[in-house]
Amino acid sequence: MDKDRLDQIKQDFQEQINKIGNIKELDTLRVQFLGKKGVMTQFMKGMGKLSKAERPIIGKKANEIRTEIQESLEKVKNDIEKKMLEARLEKEKIDVTLPGRTCHCGVHHPLNIVTSELEDIFLGMGFSIVDGPEIEWVKYNFDDLNMPKDHSSRDKQESFYYRDDIVLRTQTSPVQVRTMRAQKPPLRIISPGRVYRSDEIDATHSPVFHQMEGLVIDKGIAMSDLKGTMDLFAKKLFGNKTKTKFRPHQFYFTEPSAEMDVTCFKCGGVGCPVCDNSGWVELLGCGMVHPNVLRACGIDPNEYSGFAFGLGLDRIALTKYGISDLRLLFENDARFLSQFN
Amino acid sequence: MLASFNWLKEFVNIDQDVQTFGDILTMSGTKVETITPINENVKGIVTGKIIEIKKHPNADHLYLCTVDFGNNKTLPIVTNAQNVFEGAIVPVALDGAIIDTGTQINASEVRDVRSEGMMCSVKEMGLDTSLFNKEATQKVYIFPQGTEIGADVRELYWVNDHVIDIELTANRGDCQSIYGIAKEAAAALDQPIRPVELYQTSKEQNSEIENYLQVDVKDDHCKRYTAKVLKVNKIEPSPIWMQRKLLNSGVRPINNIVDVTNYVMIELGQPLHAFDYDNIGTKKIVVSCVQNPTFTTLDGEERKIDDQMMMITNGEKPIAIAGIMGGLNSEITEKTQFMVLESAFFDKTSIRTTSRKLGLRTEASSRYEKGSYAELCKMASLRATYLLEKIGACTAVPGFIDIYPNPEEKFSITVDCQWVNQYLGIHISKEDMIAILKRLFLEVDALEGEKIKVTVPNDRQDLRIREDIAEEVARIYGYDKIPNTLMQGSTLIGHKTDAQQYQEQVENLLIGAGFYQTMTTSFTSQKIIESMRLQDNEAPVKILNPLGEDTSIMRFTLAGQQLELISMNYNRKNPKGRFFEIAATYHVNSNSDELPIQKKHLVLSTYHDGDFYDLKGVIEMLFQHQNVRFEAGGRELYHPGRKAVVTVNGKRIGDFGEIHPVVAKQLSLPKRVYLAELDFDEMIALNAGYTAKFKSLPKYPASQRDLAVVIDIDVPAVKVEDVINRHRGDIIESVKLFDVYQGEQIPDDKKSLAYTITFRHADRTLKDREINKVMNAIVSELQDELQAQLRDE
Repeated sequence: MDKDRLDQIKQDFQEQINKIGNIKELDTLRVQFLGKKGVMTQFMKGMGKLSKAERPIIGKKANEIRTEIQESLEKVKNDIEKKMLEARLEKEKIDVTLPGRTCHCGVHHPLNIVTSELEDIFLGMGFSIVDGPEIEWVKYNFDDLNMPKDHSSRDKQESFYYRDDIVLRTQTSPVQVRTMRAQKPPLRIISPGRVYRSDEIDATHSPVFHQMEGLVIDKGIAMSDLKGTMDLFAKKLFGNKTKTKFRPHQFYFTEPSAEMDVTCFKCGGVGCPVCDNSGWVELLGCGMVHPNVLRACGIDPNEYSGFAFGLGLDRIALTKYGISDLRLLFENDARFLSQFN
Repeated sequence: MLASFNWLKEFVNIDQDVQTFGDILTMSGTKVETITPINENVKGIVTGKIIEIKKHPNADHLYLCTVDFGNNKTLPIVTNAQNVFEGAIVPVALDGAIIDTGTQINASEVRDVRSEGMMCSVKEMGLDTSLFNKEATQKVYIFPQGTEIGADVRELYWVNDHVIDIELTANRGDCQSIYGIAKEAAAALDQPIRPVELYQTSKEQNSEIENYLQVDVKDDHCKRYTAKVLKVNKIEPSPIWMQRKLLNSGVRPINNIVDVTNYVMIELGQPLHAFDYDNIGTKKIVVSCVQNPTFTTLDGEERKIDDQMMMITNGEKPIAIAGIMGGLNSEITEKTQFMVLESAFFDKTSIRTTSRKLGLRTEASSRYEKGSYAELCKMASLRATYLLEKIGACTAVPGFIDIYPNPEEKFSITVDCQWVNQYLGIHISKEDMIAILKRLFLEVDALEGEKIKVTVPNDRQDLRIREDIAEEVARIYGYDKIPNTLMQGSTLIGHKTDAQQYQEQVENLLIGAGFYQTMTTSFTSQKIIESMRLQDNEAPVKILNPLGEDTSIMRFTLAGQQLELISMNYNRKNPKGRFFEIAATYHVNSNSDELPIQKKHLVLSTYHDGDFYDLKGVIEMLFQHQNVRFEAGGRELYHPGRKAVVTVNGKRIGDFGEIHPVVAKQLSLPKRVYLAELDFDEMIALNAGYTAKFKSLPKYPASQRDLAVVIDIDVPAVKVEDVINRHRGDIIESVKLFDVYQGEQIPDDKKSLAYTITFRHADRTLKDREINKVMNAIVSELQDELQAQLRDE
C-alpha cells in the first residue's frame, strides 16, 4: 500500500509539474511536495509505522522519488529562468542607430596647437622654453640687441610705449638678452610669446601677434650648425621631404643673417597659390648672434658663438590650417574654434 | 627700389635671362621681390617724321599725313589727331603691328584713302601713362626733336625692358642706385663693372666760380657741401635715352635739367638740387638753421620751420630745406640763365628728424635717411655736369666748391681666414677668400699666416668687424654651399619646467571639461572697464601712443575680452559656450625703477551651459589638492547675491560669479553669464611639481550618519560645515551635503541642510558611543552657534 502511495505521489507530481508556467507556481509545487508539511515529507515521517522488513525497501524507494522530484524541480526552474532571460533580452532590444548623447569636450586654440608642436620639436633637440615680460625695457628690446639709436622701429609710429624707457616688446628677443645675462653658456632656449607693433588690424596684420625665437650659445657654434638645425626643424615640422633655402639678409642682432624658405607645404614645391607659384614659402629669419649682442649680455665673443632665429606663430597657424584672415584667430567664434579638435 | 634691367646691362655683362639674374641677385643678398615687364605685347611700332599734312578728301575730322620712316620710305597715314604738325616725330603702328592691349593694327582704306598704319599714344606704346602729364596721354605722342627716325619703339623707348623691384636691407644705403645694384650684380656674376663717364675738371683753365658764389657751412650736420655753377643754354625735354631710363625707374620726365638731377640720383644714389642762380640773388649759399617760421617749398606748400631744422639759405632767407626739398623762390624756370648744382652729404638723423616734423618725405630725404656717403658728392656732381653738357642743356663755369672739413678715412679690418672658415663651417683657401672679397670691390692685402687686411671703401659703411667680412665671404661663396651640420659640444636636455607642465595639465583638464581655449588681445579701453564696473579696482597701465581709444589700455583683468567674445558668440546665435584662457594681465608698479607688473590669470566663462554651481565645481576640481574656501564677495562685475571669493590658506586667489545684470545689458550679453578669474601664478605656486602620495586603503569599516538641520535661510552652508569639520579629529572621514530643502514643513525664513557624515578610524573599528558623542557635540554646537534645529524624521 505504501508502495502504491509512493507511485501515486510520483504520478501526482509529474502531472502537476507539466502544468507549471512560472517560478511562483514552481515554488508552490515545491512546498506542496517537499515543504515541511508537504506530501513527500509527510510520507517519510509516516514510515516509522512500517515493519522492519518493509522499511528499507520503501525507504529506498521514497528517497529515489524525493531525489527525482528535486531534480525535476531544479530542471524546470532552470528552463523557466532561461526563458525569462530570453524574454528580457528580447524586450530590452534598442535601436542602436539612434544618435549617442554628445560628450562635450573643449578644444585647444589653433595658435596653441601650433606653438606646442614647435615647442615639442625644439624640446626634443635639447632646447628649454623661457618667457619674459611683454612690457619691457627699451634697453633689452632695442639697445642690447644692437638696434641703431635712430632706427625707425624705435619710433612712436612703429612701437607702443609705456614710458620713454619702457616699450611693449616688438619681438621676443629681449628674452634672449635676459637669459644670456642670467645664465652661463651653453644655452639652448626658445621663447614663444606675444609681441606688439603699431599696425592697424587687417587680414594679415595685427598690433598684437606671436613669435617664437630661439637662441643657441656655445663654444664653436658655426653657421653650418645654424643651417643644419633649422633644416632639421623644418623637416620635423613639415616632413622629411622638405627642403630649405637660405637667403642672405640683414638683421641688427645677427651677422651673418639669413632668411630661410621651405618648400611649400601645400604643394610640395611645384607651385600653388599659397607659395605664389614659387614653390617656396618664407619661414623664418636667423643668423649668427652679433658680437655686440654677446658683449652687451656679458658673453665674450672670442670664447663663445651662437645663432638665433625667429618666426611668426600666427602666420604658421594661418598657413597650416589655410585660414585666410588673421582676425579669425583673435575673434574666438565657437564655430571657428570647434574645428581644431 | 626699382631697377631697370636694361640700365643694369649698361654697366655689367649679364648673359642670363632676367628671371635667372633675379635669382642670382637674391641668393647673393640683394632680394628681388618682383620682376615686371614694361609691355610684352607691343611690336612693330616705329618712329616716323610727318613731312606733309593734308585734309582727308572725304572726311572733315581726318587728316592724311605723309610720314617719313627713313631709308626713302614714306607712307600715307590717316589720323584724327589734332596735335600733329609737319616735322613732328610720332610713333606709328605699321601694318601688322601690335599695340599695348595685344590688338593687331592693319593697313586699311579709311574712307577710300589708303592708310598704312596708326599713330599711337603713350598708352598704345605700352608705357605707364601715370608718368606723363594727362594732356600728353590723350593725344598722339610727339617725340623730342632729334629722335631717330625708323626706330622700333620697343627698343628705342625700352618697352622691352623689365623693372626689377628690389627689397634693400637697411644696412645697404649704397645699393639705392643702379650703380650700387650693378656692383652687387658684378660681384655675384664675377664680372667687371663699366665706369661712369664724368666731367673732366682737368680740361678747365682758371677757376671762375669764386666770382659767382661763396658757400658757408654753419651746421655740422652737413658733412660735405659741393657746388657747381652752370650756364643754362636751353630748357627743353631731355632726349629719349634719358627719358626711358627715368620712366622705367618710375620717375616722370620734366625737362632736361630736372631730369639730369633725377637721373644721377637714380644712377648713383646721390640726391642733387638745382637752384636758379639769379633768384638766390646774394652770390652766397649758407647751410644753417634759421628763425623764419615759414617757408614755401617747390610743391607750393607753406611749411612751418623751426630753429632745429637744417636749411640752405642765401645768407638772408631760406632757399631750401636741406636734403629734403627746394624752395619755390629759387626754382629752375624757363627763364633760368645760370644754375647752382648742389651735391651734399647731410647727416641722416638730422634729415630724418626734420622730415618727420614736417611730415614731408621725398626721394632725396629717404635716400639720406637710409644712409648716403660723403665720397659720392663730388662724383655725382661731376656726373651731372657731364650729362648736362652732353645733352646741351648747360655749359659749366670752371671751378668747383667743395666744403669737406673732415674727409672720411678709409677703414680697414684685419681678419683671420681660419676664423672665417670656422665661423661659417666651411673650408676655403686664403686665396679664394681674397678673390671673393675683391669681387666686392674691397681692397685686400695678404698678411702673414692666414691673416688678411681688408680696406673698405667709403660706400660700404656696413663693413666694420670681422663678422661683416665673414658675411661677405658667405654670401658670395653661396649660403647654399655651406653644409648643414648638427651642433657638437655640450649635451643639453630639453624639458618643460614644473610650471609649464602644470599649465599644460590645467589646459588639458579644462578642455576635457568642455572648455574652448581662447586667445584674445591684451588691449582694452576705459569704456569696457567702466562697462564692467571695474573702474575703481585699479589704475590701468596706459599706452603713451595707442592706435586708438579702444586699445589704449593694457588689461588688468581678462574678464573684458571674455565677455566681449561671449557677446559676439551669443549675438551670432551660437547656442552656448564654455571658454577659458590663461594669459597675461598688466598692473602699474608703484616702484618706478621697475617694469609694470605682469601676472598670469586664468579666466573661465560660460553661458547657457550650466549655472553657478557647475562653474564652482570646475574651480573645486582645480583646487582639489588644496583646502579651498569660498565666501560671498567679489568684484562689482558680478551679481551681488551670486558671487564668491576663492581663498586658499587665507590668500585670495580670485573670484567668480554670475555677471551683474547691468553689465550684461551694457555688453549685450545673455541674461546669465558666469565667469571666474583666478591668479594663475598663485595656482602654479600651489600646484606645480605636485606628486600624488599613496595612502593605504582603509582596513576598518566606516559608519555613516545623516544629519539634517534647519537653519535661518541667510546662514551660509559653509558655517555648518565649519562646525562639523571642527570635530574631524581622526574619526570623521568625509562630510557631504546631500540635500538642501526649502518649502513645505519648513518655515519660510528657514532652510534644511542634510549631510552624510562618514566616520572611520584608520586603526580600529569605531564604537557607536564614540560616534554618538561626536554627533551630539556637533548637534549641540549647531544649536548654540547657528540656532539650528534638528529636522524631525
